[in-house]
Amino acid sequence: MWTRMRDFDRMFQAMDLLHSKLNGVFQNDDRPRLPGAAWGVAESGPRTNMYDTGEALEIRVEVPGIQKDDLNVKLQGNYLEIRGNRKAETPEGYSTHRVERGATSFTRSFTLPSEVDAAKVEATLKDGILTLVLGKAEPAKPKQIAIN
Amino acid sequence: MSERQDLTVREEALSERNRQIPTVAPMVDILENENEILLFADMPGVDRKDISINIDNGRLALSGIREVKPVGAVTWEEFADVEFRRTFSVPQTIDVAGVNAELKEGVLLLHLPKSESAKPRQIEIKVG
Repeated sequence: MWTRMRDFDRMFQAMDLLHSKLNGVFQNDDRPRLPGAAWGVAESGPRTNMYDTGEALEIRVEVPGIQKDDLNVKLQGNYLEIRGNRKAETPEGYSTHRVERGATSFTRSFTLPSEVDAAKVEATLKDGILTLVLGKAEPAKPKQIAIN
Repeated sequence: MSERQDLTVREEALSERNRQIPTVAPMVDILENENEILLFADMPGVDRKDISINIDNGRLALSGIREVKPVGAVTWEEFADVEFRRTFSVPQTIDVAGVNAELKEGVLLLHLPKSESAKPRQIEIKVG
């Protein structure tokens, strides 16, 4: 009987240890990064947001340090593709201490949730955020329905 | 009812900065040559006026606050309001008065010039 009690004790101790270790995982992380750090992993593209304003779809993409000419946006029906590449901007004659950003290239594509009018697309680049406003095609726009 | 109204008012009165937003470390590149140390930091979506750079007692603290300002209905959101914050130790040989910063395409570039006394110097030997 006693040995069995001790077994329980030991099991609980192990669980407590695991519990405190798991807590520590989150507490000790003093340098948090956004999940899926965009530029760290080659296969993951930049982070995007998408909003629906009724009249248009708005897509915002995080593209820090990418020039306008290095971005390529392609729209085909409701398929949207965004390509970009960042050149390494290391000036000459400098030695490097730390490189986390580096040169990178990405392609990200989406199937848009509604039909858009290719003639009503606006793209702007500001502060490292690419904003695409895609005007919806006439049938996809919300309509007010009058009640008779 | 009146109590509820009171609550809403107070929430609106809170400034943007007081709201709890997550803090992340921006990705940086650090380069050095004879004259200066260069620091690049990725801060996409941060406005120039929302960046603060403090150098105090050998510590350089960068902070930039991004407000995403959503429009309409959110279909998906992978990035949101965030504070980019990171602290570095800088050598005492940096000329603090000469530090300058520029923000271009969401990348903060910081020039940290070395003070004259810290630059390498060639010493000529005079012919006696």
